[in-house]
Amino acid sequence: MTVDPAQTPTATPDGTAGTGVATAEAAAASVPPEYAAQSLGQYVRASWTGVRSGNSGVLPVILAMVLVAVVFEIITPEHAFLRPSNLVYIFGLSTVYMVLAVAETVVLLLGEIDLSVGAVAMIGGVVAFKLVQHPGPGWPWWAAVLAALVVCGVIGALQGTVTARLKIPSFVVTLGGFLLFSGILIVILGGADGTVSVSNTDPNQRVIYDMVQGLIVPVAGWVGLAVVVAVAGTLLWLRAAARRRSGLAAPPVSLTIIRIALVALVGVAVVLICSINRGSALVAIEGIPWVIPIVLVVLGVWTLVLQRTKFGRYLYAIGGNPEAARRAGVSLAAMRTWAFALSSATAGLGGILLGSFFFGEYSTNTADPGQLVLYAVAAAVIGGVSLFGGRGKAIHGVLGGLLIGGIAYGVSLLNLGELAAPLSYIVPGSVLLGAVMVDVLSRRGAGSVTRV
Amino acid sequence: MSDFPVTTDSGEAPRTLSDVELAGDLTAAPDVAEADVPPELLAQSLGEYIRAWWQRVRSGNSGVLPVVMAIVVVAISFEITNSKFLSPQNLVNLFEQSTVYMVLAMAEIFVLLLAEVDLSVGLVMVLGSVVVAELVQPSGANWPWWAAIIAGLAVCSAWGAIQGTLVARLRMPSFIVTLGGLLILEGVGIIVLGGTLVGIGNSRFTNEVVLYDIFWGQIGPVISWILLVVLVAAAGTGMWLQDVRRRRNGLETAPRSLTAMKIVLMAVAGTAIVAICNVNRAHSGTIEGVPYIIVIVLVVLVAWTVLLQRTRFGRYVYAIGGNPEAARRAGVSLPGIRTWGFVLAGLTSGIAGVLFASWQVSLTTNIIKSANSYVLLAIAAAVIGGTSLFGGRGKTIHGVLGGLVIGGIYNGLYLLGVSSEWIDVVVAAVLLAAAGVDVLSRRGAPRQT
Repeated sequence: MTVDPAQTPTATPDGTAGTGVATAEAAAASVPPEYAAQSLGQYVRASWTGVRSGNSGVLPVILAMVLVAVVFEIITPEHAFLRPSNLVYIFGLSTVYMVLAVAETVVLLLGEIDLSVGAVAMIGGVVAFKLVQHPGPGWPWWAAVLAALVVCGVIGALQGTVTARLKIPSFVVTLGGFLLFSGILIVILGGADGTVSVSNTDPNQRVIYDMVQGLIVPVAGWVGLAVVVAVAGTLLWLRAAARRRSGLAAPPVSLTIIRIALVALVGVAVVLICSINRGSALVAIEGIPWVIPIVLVVLGVWTLVLQRTKFGRYLYAIGGNPEAARRAGVSLAAMRTWAFALSSATAGLGGILLGSFFFGEYSTNTADPGQLVLYAVAAAVIGGVSLFGGRGKAIHGVLGGLLIGGIAYGVSLLNLGELAAPLSYIVPGSVLLGAVMVDVLSRRGAGSVTRV
Repeated sequence: MSDFPVTTDSGEAPRTLSDVELAGDLTAAPDVAEADVPPELLAQSLGEYIRAWWQRVRSGNSGVLPVVMAIVVVAISFEITNSKFLSPQNLVNLFEQSTVYMVLAMAEIFVLLLAEVDLSVGLVMVLGSVVVAELVQPSGANWPWWAAIIAGLAVCSAWGAIQGTLVARLRMPSFIVTLGGLLILEGVGIIVLGGTLVGIGNSRFTNEVVLYDIFWGQIGPVISWILLVVLVAAAGTGMWLQDVRRRRNGLETAPRSLTAMKIVLMAVAGTAIVAICNVNRAHSGTIEGVPYIIVIVLVVLVAWTVLLQRTRFGRYVYAIGGNPEAARRAGVSLPGIRTWGFVLAGLTSGIAGVLFASWQVSLTTNIIKSANSYVLLAIAAAVIGGTSLFGGRGKTIHGVLGGLVIGGIYNGLYLLGVSSEWIDVVVAAVLLAAAGVDVLSRRGAPRQT
């Protein structure tokens, strides 16, 4: 069947055209709607076909975020949820979940799972924190961060090798890894009550401290936003123009403009919220947390890797159908090992951010590595990453992480007293089950094969 | 599977190994066929039995051999480093500590046999223990102990049914369903526990005393001996009579010498256990006799072994684990059996919960934090015992033996003064090694993984 971009969107949405419809719809759904559409109207219709056939993309998670925001704004005391200070705090809280969810997404794309991501992340954080200690190794911050990412990458490569070469199920390997690295974490922390911290007075350590805690002054924030929007807009525009010139299917001009406007709008909103003084009249707290550009960089890099490189395409191929990928000449073991390694390195960055979020202090009480994993998996799945492999993007992890962080913080705002602690488990657990149920049912709707 | 007309007609004379050996090049395929039939039914003499059994081991069906070897290695290496390890006092202690792992591993095996996994067994256990302990509180519900236990088991089974339904009917991946379930249970556990300490250690209340004695009580030495004699006599007679009946009906039967050896082995093992348990193990005063929990673990073991090996349900479980599509085409209701598998896992976790409540005596929110490591240990125990992660292969006894290995490692390292985080590291390494052996033995066996 040829997929002529001009014709596919006309596949009857009412499903009356007999047996061919299912395949035509599936084909239409597998081509990104922006390439299949010639006009904005067609694009919207093609997107809708995609949503109906189970390819709903980021739509559900954005709807869920709106719902969560509205509900918590209504039920929190004094309607405090959407205050700028809270929104900025939620972002800081969520960054760890976002970065870990992006890391988990990479592995989930393969149809594997990494249950050690929380423990590995915390090892990364502790390694970086230990290396900048003065007196102590006293490494420059960038070398310490790099070393932490390498350590985590090696751990990931080890687990990936065991999974890929020995074909031991990844959940067992990483379950063992979780236990193993949780133990090692305590050892390198120096016992169950060991701590390591970075101070905001030492100029070298301060860089790590400021990753989540530091702020960009509003003026610099506006300038940075203008630059980011200009660069992103130009790139989007030039790419669409290049495609059109080469006679390739390109998104309609109106769609590109809407996208650029959307990027600018979201950026302005974020900078505006962050630039409001969240402190007091005497001590102003205003500006964009450093962590926002950091998360954007992680998102941008992983989006590029997954969507624009051969490695990324291979990951989707393996996740979609490993046997088909193998026959197409993809080295399954090598790709899986690399995916685990890069995923764990990303998790290591999340671990550093975790310590920075807790005011530069790392102890065994900083976070429960088991719960971090659950939140990371839940965030990825809630964001729209499929557990069965081959479906998901880095942005899904980021949005899912934001949603989980929003829910967690919203629950904590409710002054529930004794119910607060249990609800901080029950709500994410229920959301996870709900998201997986949607994933399973939408896969069924898509007519693709789930397991027997 | 192969082109060979391998008949397994029970009326036909049993194939002997010499037939197989004569077949030259074609031995590989008959090997598989032979390996699928238990060696005790194939062999005509003890020698043949041993050879058939060895062939099964070589083709990847090693059964309990690796775990028994592991137990011996653990015992010898810890005895060398610390001579207290094999003392009667420590052995009983070790066994008591292992019981929770054993029962949880037996719970996990129901699910592993179906090629699923249940990550929530640790928290289901905690839920069961909290429910039982809360219900007998004199200041609260004040239920009789048996009603509290039944309620606890019912709650755990119901939880298993919910998770099982999601897995079986919606085909949601079991590890995610049970991961979400685990999170929810963590919250539910905190609510049920109510943030306060719940204890069953008050000797003024009969209900609490009964619960306390489940783990800490023991049968007196004399009664222990009498019980052993009765048990061995009953089991021996049962085995012998079954053989006689099979032989009379012209069915394939294990050789007499083998049955006699099994009965003797049982008697020797039983005598050793009772003898060890009857040594006074108290620092001051007297604590002697077989702990109740040994009997309880035995009852659970026998009940679940019969259920899995001798009933239609058990055969269906193995069929689904081996090849779900084949089982479905043979008319097995996949959702029904899968749901029941999760219910039984929940029920068995509830039994572990009763033991756990009795073991801990007082329950605080700390046990909820520690529950997750029990899951890992339960899976590790099942896999170390010889249960496959890929379904269709494993027996209840594997959970008991694997639990003993885990308990032995914990106990031995603890005696050596190793800190708990290093013990976790060792257990993780053992789990990975066991999973590696599982994968490699599956590869060695001429079957599809």
